Amino acid sequence: MNSVNDRSRDIGPFVPGPDDDMIICRCEEITKGEIRQAVHDGMWTLTEIRRYLRTGMGLCQGQTCGRLVKGIVARELGISPAELEPAASRVPMRPIEMEIFANEAPEEKEVGYYED
Amino acid sequence: MSERIKEHPILGVQEKGRLVRFTYDGKEVEGYEGEPIAAALKAAGVMVHRYTQKEHSPRGIFCAIGRCTDCVMVVDGVPNVRTCITPLAEGMKVCTQYGVSEKPFEEQ
Amino acid sequence: MKRYDLIIVGAGPSGLSAGIEAAKKGLRTVVFDENEKPGGQLFKQIHKFFGSKEHRAKVRGYVIGQQLLEEADRAGVEVVLNATVIGLYQDKEVVVKRGDRIEHYKGNAVIIATGAAENMVTFPGWTLPGVIGAGAAQTMMNLHGVLPGKRVLMLGSGNVGLVVSFQLEQCGCEVVALVDAAPRVGGYGVHAAKVARTGVPFYLSHTIVEAEGTDCVTGVTIAEVDSTFHFIPGTEKHFDVDTICLAVGLSPMSQLLKMAGCRMVDDAKKGGQVPVCDPYGRTSLPGVYVAGDVAGIEEASSAMIEGRMAGIAAAEYLGYIGKDEMESELASLDKALDGLRQGMFAPQNRGKQITETEEGIEVSQNLLLHGYVADDELERYPGVTHKSGVHPVIECTQNIPCNPCQDACKKGCISIGAKITSLPIVVEGSECINCGMCVASCSGQAIFLVDEDCGDGTATVTLPYEFLPLPEVGTKGKGLGRDGKAVCDAEVVSVKSMKAFDKTNLLTIRIPKEYAMKARFFKAV
Repeated sequence: MNSVNDRSRDIGPFVPGPDDDMIICRCEEITKGEIRQAVHDGMWTLTEIRRYLRTGMGLCQGQTCGRLVKGIVARELGISPAELEPAASRVPMRPIEMEIFANEAPEEKEVGYYED
Repeated sequence: MSERIKEHPILGVQEKGRLVRFTYDGKEVEGYEGEPIAAALKAAGVMVHRYTQKEHSPRGIFCAIGRCTDCVMVVDGVPNVRTCITPLAEGMKVCTQYGVSEKPFEEQ
Repeated sequence: MKRYDLIIVGAGPSGLSAGIEAAKKGLRTVVFDENEKPGGQLFKQIHKFFGSKEHRAKVRGYVIGQQLLEEADRAGVEVVLNATVIGLYQDKEVVVKRGDRIEHYKGNAVIIATGAAENMVTFPGWTLPGVIGAGAAQTMMNLHGVLPGKRVLMLGSGNVGLVVSFQLEQCGCEVVALVDAAPRVGGYGVHAAKVARTGVPFYLSHTIVEAEGTDCVTGVTIAEVDSTFHFIPGTEKHFDVDTICLAVGLSPMSQLLKMAGCRMVDDAKKGGQVPVCDPYGRTSLPGVYVAGDVAGIEEASSAMIEGRMAGIAAAEYLGYIGKDEMESELASLDKALDGLRQGMFAPQNRGKQITETEEGIEVSQNLLLHGYVADDELERYPGVTHKSGVHPVIECTQNIPCNPCQDACKKGCISIGAKITSLPIVVEGSECINCGMCVASCSGQAIFLVDEDCGDGTATVTLPYEFLPLPEVGTKGKGLGRDGKAVCDAEVVSVKSMKAFDKTNLLTIRIPKEYAMKARFFKAV
């Protein structure tokens, strides 16, 4: 079991920091303090953090904050960022209106291998 | 339009589309057709594109390539339009976005 | 579902190169790109590239972009723009948003060439309008012809920070400071030197304390940091700026590969989360390849070669070429790529502190700390020699893979030798004819033609000049030292602009002879 999932590990108490009010996720306006607190609330993976706080769930889909959040969570857990599993990647990779997402282009008639 | 580069030492004089008018928060502004809305606004000296939902803090151009979504505005009534990659068209109605609305917070 | 032999995601340098190679081998190839225009970041690169001829050295990035597009067109690559790939599935199904609808395609092979995204750093005020990525600055000035700001502070001394600082100055912005938390300049010394000589001060071991302003940036405070990156009280410096540019590295945009189920690894040397792949871009999923920055952050020059490799590997996978043909083509590309991955800045040297050149010469510490070679360090380099009459002075002091200077001189005055990273030397007994081709050909703008003693107490220095307005003959001003500070009076005695110089103008200034080895830039007064 790697250290991230070993939740019996004691990571110590949440200690407030001077830059806890710094915005990290620009879209959802989540602060560094909220992310650090979330780790102490038991959110030890990026997927949990994402669901708990909505970091990286806004319009940009974590393009800007992904790496920053990873660094903060890793530091709070006392591990290297490389040890943290990145959050899942899912369709759609880019912001997209639901009406477009649901608007499947009609299948062109079954085309042969090299036909248009 | 003092913020336009008239002639560049390497790129020379850049070709632009036709000069068109659009509105920014009701004021008439000029820009080149087909350039990103954000470029036209930047040339007109506009820095703030929106104010955020939670903290009401100002945001503007950040990545300029459609990734960060900080430059979104209400364009022709549609919110969350990425102005850095949306081409300018004549008569567009571009408004500062407050949260997800073109109405200032006190009117929401 | 429409099927292609090969679907490429991303029409940047690697994606287009992959497409060209594959289409030439007969694969029915499509390239999807989410942008309005193809070329990736190439069209924002207005400097001359490094490398050798086979890497298109001394050609400007945007010209390489045009060449690639023409090649792709000739080869029959279908490039589809405004096509955002929003999903990739294990069975090589590609989901694309085009206009207001979603389309599905199937590739017999897929090459992911999505490039990289900029990293960011946080500081109080980092969300203010006016704090932008270095890429945003490039996009605004070089694609859209709009000034990103008037007074700019650049954070980051890697090649991106250095190159973009120079570009900002080229379009008329003032770069008030170049700042990096690292103790040494991260990018090429020649890029740093051309920025420093225009008068941009370098602040290494410094970072941003705070961006100021209510609705947008009006100022910035920086301070020195200690070896643990904590601010040292009392070292704060304030600048009035309207723009803060962030150039703090890139991360591979590898999400599509992770989504498809490729085996991934977090590799700090490659810039973050990358797919596990072999040298030719084959991932853990058969038929899924990667090329360019998405597989590890490097330069556009190497991305183009990686793209070609992946294209060839895909052609063999689908049976369009045999194994032998593939292997012989890959072998020659291996050699080309290997050439680029040499020298002090090679991927394997990332993070290492190098104190000596390959020739055993001590590296200029002043260059690493302040962005320019100090007067007393200069004489140790083999490109710096003295003789009567006009002769080249080559201020190239680091081993980087680049050799256009040796081909530029028809008289054989400059030699690099077989090893592309060697420091150029001035060949003894050779005759300089003052043609200026070496000055214009040096991608690092590190070559000057100097006549140290014209016989009347003056000297002349010919320097590369890529700014507007171009001074006219007779313009009086100051000769600036390598640190950008005025050292002497100077008068422009010659201005040469030739097609072969490719927009690098050659300015010859006359100065008092004691400044022949000091004055390296001109500023009209």
